[in-house]
Amino acid sequence: MGIVIAVISGKGGVGKTTTTANIGLGIAQNGKKCVVVDFDIGQRNLDMLLGLENRVVYDMVHVMDEGIHTKQALIKSKMSPNLAFLAASQTKDKSVLDSYKIKKLINSLKKDFEYVILDAPAGIESGYEHTIEFADRAIIVVNPEVSSIRDSDRAIGILDSKSQRVKDGEEVEKYLIINRINPTMVQSGEMLGSSDILEILSIPLIGKIPEDKGIIDASNQGKPIILNETSAAGQAYKRVAARVCGEKVDFVDVETQSGGFMKKIKEMFT
Amino acid sequence: MFSFLKKKSSAKTAKDRLTIAIMSDRTNNSFPFIEELKAEIIEVVKKYIGVTKVNIQKEDHDGVEALSIDVQLEK
Repeated sequence: MGIVIAVISGKGGVGKTTTTANIGLGIAQNGKKCVVVDFDIGQRNLDMLLGLENRVVYDMVHVMDEGIHTKQALIKSKMSPNLAFLAASQTKDKSVLDSYKIKKLINSLKKDFEYVILDAPAGIESGYEHTIEFADRAIIVVNPEVSSIRDSDRAIGILDSKSQRVKDGEEVEKYLIINRINPTMVQSGEMLGSSDILEILSIPLIGKIPEDKGIIDASNQGKPIILNETSAAGQAYKRVAARVCGEKVDFVDVETQSGGFMKKIKEMFT
Repeated sequence: MFSFLKKKSSAKTAKDRLTIAIMSDRTNNSFPFIEELKAEIIEVVKKYIGVTKVNIQKEDHDGVEALSIDVQLEK
């Protein structure tokens, strides 16, 4: 049976969908069968980031409500034979979601895939609650910025009280991704460092992603940045995907990787 | 020189403010059912004796969390 991972954030616009696309593809590149599911009903975007928007015929609402078989709705990615995608409905709204149907859908995906990655909608409303309901793990994406961090703590609180695992007396494993780190700003004290964020949220780190201009270019083309061998963010996502798959990968200190002024100073003394 | 010092403190300021804000969020949200609980307690106590008000407070005694429930009776 596959592992269900919800990618959550609380606040919108922090890179949740980008993270889902990259981790999903990274897991698939690691040789594991992986499906990414867009749970953002009415505002789907994962199809765009994966370059699959023109291949969507059936979405998850067709599967849940209209008797379409899961296999008919799944789209295979050309970027990896191990990666499949299930689209959110763009015409319905989150009120179509229902616990029983979601459980059925997720259980059928768990039979065929080793990893089932769910891209949660922003916010902490019903659409979010349904995404985390049957998750085994959660990846929390934050930016080093006060509103993102505060909102993520609320989302974590809801995860810890409303997911099925918690109701069953178990725990949902939680992992933190700090996205859009600007090394120069961290070094000059204008941006929260990862150690501060970890101290505030107290959940284990699974990835530090530096800010990367290439992300926009990647989404323009529908090719996740993990495919770009020279991109710092792409390489960071690659390490995250390996960690998700259970590999032990050392953390790269992306906060001092920019070769900025402070780094040069440090080098003078070491 | 001074602008450097000022900049240095902005991440620290963020950390301090967040620590307090999140602590207060967590306290306020840890028992979202408190209003329902109050109403139910009133219903139960009413069966035996008149009651005017119920107060529920979350307390922390050396790491042991407790709910302190005050029931105000009718005169």
